[in-house]
Amino acid sequence: MLRTNTKLRATIALIITTFCFLQVTAGNNWNVPADKKTKNSTFKFDANTVKDGESVYTKNCVSCHGNPTKGNSLKSLNPVPPDLSSAKTQELTDGELFYILNTGRVIMPSFNNVLSEEDRWKVIAYIRSFNKNYVQQVSTNDATKSQLVKADIDFNKNTNRLTITVKATEKTGSVLLKNDEIALFANRYFGRLQIGESQRTSADGVAVFDFPKDLPGDKDGNVKLVVKINDDTYGEILRLKTMQIGIPTDKPALNEKRAIWNVLAKAPYWIIILYTSGVLAFGCVLMYLLYSLNRLRKAGNN
Amino acid sequence: MATKSNTDKITTDLLRPIRLNKSFIIWMGFLGVSLVICLGAYGWQLKNGMVVTGLGDYVSWGMYISNFVFFVATSLIGMLISAVLGLSGQKWAAPLARIAEIIALAFAAVAGLVIISDMGRPERLLNVIIHARIQSPIVWDITVVSVYVLISALFLYIPLIPDLKICAEKLENLPPFARKIYKALSLNWNDTPEQKKIIKQTTRTIAIFIIPVALAIHTVTSWLFANTSRAGWDSTIYGPYFVTGAFVSGTAAVIIAMYFFRKNYKLHDYITDSHFDMIGKLLVLVSLVYLYFNLNEYMVPFYKMKESEAILLHDLFSGNHALLFWSVQMLGLVLPIILLLFKKMRKPQPMLLIGIMVLLGAWFKRLIIVVPTQEHPYLPIQNVPLNFKIYSPTLVETLISIAPFILVLMIITLLAKVIPIIPVHETIEHLEENK
Ligand code: HEC
Repeated sequence: MLRTNTKLRATIALIITTFCFLQVTAGNNWNVPADKKTKNSTFKFDANTVKDGESVYTKNCVSCHGNPTKGNSLKSLNPVPPDLSSAKTQELTDGELFYILNTGRVIMPSFNNVLSEEDRWKVIAYIRSFNKNYVQQVSTNDATKSQLVKADIDFNKNTNRLTITVKATEKTGSVLLKNDEIALFANRYFGRLQIGESQRTSADGVAVFDFPKDLPGDKDGNVKLVVKINDDTYGEILRLKTMQIGIPTDKPALNEKRAIWNVLAKAPYWIIILYTSGVLAFGCVLMYLLYSLNRLRKAGNN
Repeated sequence: MATKSNTDKITTDLLRPIRLNKSFIIWMGFLGVSLVICLGAYGWQLKNGMVVTGLGDYVSWGMYISNFVFFVATSLIGMLISAVLGLSGQKWAAPLARIAEIIALAFAAVAGLVIISDMGRPERLLNVIIHARIQSPIVWDITVVSVYVLISALFLYIPLIPDLKICAEKLENLPPFARKIYKALSLNWNDTPEQKKIIKQTTRTIAIFIIPVALAIHTVTSWLFANTSRAGWDSTIYGPYFVTGAFVSGTAAVIIAMYFFRKNYKLHDYITDSHFDMIGKLLVLVSLVYLYFNLNEYMVPFYKMKESEAILLHDLFSGNHALLFWSVQMLGLVLPIILLLFKKMRKPQPMLLIGIMVLLGAWFKRLIIVVPTQEHPYLPIQNVPLNFKIYSPTLVETLISIAPFILVLMIITLLAKVIPIIPVHETIEHLEENK
C-alpha cells in the first residue's frame, strides 16, 4: 500500500518536473523567423542613444523587468520577467530583441504600436550597454530610403472604406510595396486608436480598411489618420493625413464652464452664494457684538 | 448679613486660585521644557523635510491630520455645554460653562497650528489664502475654524466682563499693570440694569450663533474626507458621525478638567458630586448617540460588502487594525457607557479614569478613521515598498503630535490662572435669585 503510494508520488513528481522543464524550454524559445533575426538598427548605438534608451526603459519596462543587473523584476508575474542584462537575454541577436519588442508574448506586451521604431532600437541600445562584449552590427539599409515612400489614402463615402495605396518613387520608377504589414490609426488625446486589424498590402500595394461610422472627429469632423507600414527595404514608414470623415463633435472643454474643479473665477454660483452668505452672516453677528460691547462701555459711564 | 458673608465667601473662594504659586510655576516649567523638546523635533522636520515622518505616497494623512480632527472635535464641547445646555435651561451646567469655553478656545486655536505640522513647506501657508478656491472644502475649513476661534473667544469674554471688574477690585497683591488690564477689559462695568441687559442679549445671540458655526466646523472637517470617493470615507453620514463623536471626546475632556480644577483649586463647593453625576449622564447620552452612528457607519457597508469597502472592513474587523479598532470601540465607547450606568461610577475618581479612557479612545478612533482607508488606494502603485502600505509613525512625528497637547494644557493653565474659572458674578446672582 505504502509502496504504491510512493510510486504514485514519484510518478506525479516526475510528470510535474518534466512539465516545468518543458515550460522553461518553451519560455526560452521565441521562434523568431530567420529573416527577422538578422535585422539591425540603421543607426549606431552611442552614449546618447543609450541615454535616450534608458528613459524609454524607465517609462515602459522597469515596472516589470526591474533595473538591469539589480534582480528586482516583478516576481509576482508568471513567467517572471527576466533581468535583461542576463547572459540569456544578451545571447539574443539585435533582430531577435527587436522582434520580441514588436510581438510580445502573453504578459510581455507588444510595443509595436506603442514605441516608434527609433525608440525601440534605442531601448535595445540601453539593454546592450550592460554587455561589455557586445559588438554592434549596423544595418546596411539606408535610413533615408523611407522618405521615398508615399501612401495615398482614399475615402469612399458610400462604403465608408479607406483604400490605401503604398508605393515608393525610385529613380527607376514607381515601386509598389507588396505584402507589407500595414496598420491604420486615428490620433486621440492620449496615444492612437487602431482602426481595424493590421493587414498585409496586396500585390498592387493596396490595403482596404473599414472605417467606423461613429468615430468622433473635431468640430468639423476632422480625424488625424496615421498609416504605419513596415517594409524590409524601406524600414518603418509613418504617414499622417487629416481627413474630414469623423462625426463633428464640439464638446466644450472641461474647464470652460463653471465647475467644482475650475479656477476660482469659474466657481459654481451655488458655492459662491453659500460661502459668501455664510461669511456675511458671520460679519453681521460680529458687527452686532462689537456694537453691543461699545454700548455696554458707554452704559457704564452714566 | 448672611448673604453678604456668602457673597464674600464666593468671591474669595473663586478668586483664590488667581495668584502666582510654586506649583503653577513648576507645572508651566515642565510644560515649557516638554514643548521645547517637541519644537526641536519640529525643527528637525523643517530641516530634513517630511521624510522624517512615516508619511508616504499611500498614507499622506497620518497622525497629524488625525490629531487635527481630534482637536477640532474636542473644541466642539463649548457649543454643547454653554450653548445647547444653556439655552435649554439646564441650570446645573452653568458653573461648567467657562471650563468648557476655555477648553473649546484652546483646542480650536491650536487645531489651526496642528494642520501646519502636516505641511512640508509651511512658509507657503499664505498661498492657501492667496490662491484659495472656494470650491475646496479645505478653504471652507479654514474659514469656519477661524470664525469658531473668534466666536469662542467672544463667548468666553462677554460673560466674563463682570468678573473682570470683580478681579480688578477684589484681587489683592495685584501688580498695577495687571489691575489696569483687568479694568480696561471690564469695559466700565458698573452692574447697571442696562449693562446687565446687554450682556444677557449678546450672550444669548452668541449662544444661538455658535451652534451652527460649531456644527459647521466639524461637518466641514468631515467633508474633507466624505467629499472623496475613497472606501470608508465615502459616506453620507460623516457630518453627524463626526459631530456626535466630537461631543464624546469634548465631554471627556471637560470631565478631566473638572476633576483637576476641583482638586487643585479646592472648588468642592462649586463643582460638586452632583455635577459629576450629571455630566456622567451626559457622557452616556452622547456616547449612545455616537454608538448609534458607529453602528450605521460600519454595519451598512458590512452588510453590502462592496469590493473596495470589504477590503477595508476586513482590515478593521479582523486584519491589521483589528486590535486597535476593537479596543477603541469597546474600551473607548461601549465599556464607558456600561460603567456610567451605575451611580457609583459617576463619582469624581472613577469618572476621571473613564474620562481618560474615552479621550484616549477618541484620539485613536481618529487614527482609525484617517489611516486605514489610505492603505488601500483604488490605483495601487506597482512594486510599492512595504513601508508605503503599512503606516507606522516615527518618533519625531509622535513628538510633534504631542506638542499641540502641551500647548493646549499651557493655554488652559494660563487662562485658569488669570480668570476665575467658575463665573463669580453669575454664581452670586444665582444665589440671590434662589433666596
Ligand atoms: C507587463 C510586464 C512587462 C513589461 C512592461 C515589459 N516586459 Fe519584457 N517581458 C515580460 C515577461 C513576463 C517576459 C517573459 C515572457 C516569456 O518568456 O514568455 C518578458 C520578456 C522580455 C524579453 C525576452 C527576454 C529573454 O531573455 O527571453 C525582452 C528582451 C523584453 N521582455 C524586453 C522588454 C522591454 C525592452 C520592455 C520595455 C520596452 C519590456 N520588456 C516591458 C514582461 C514585461
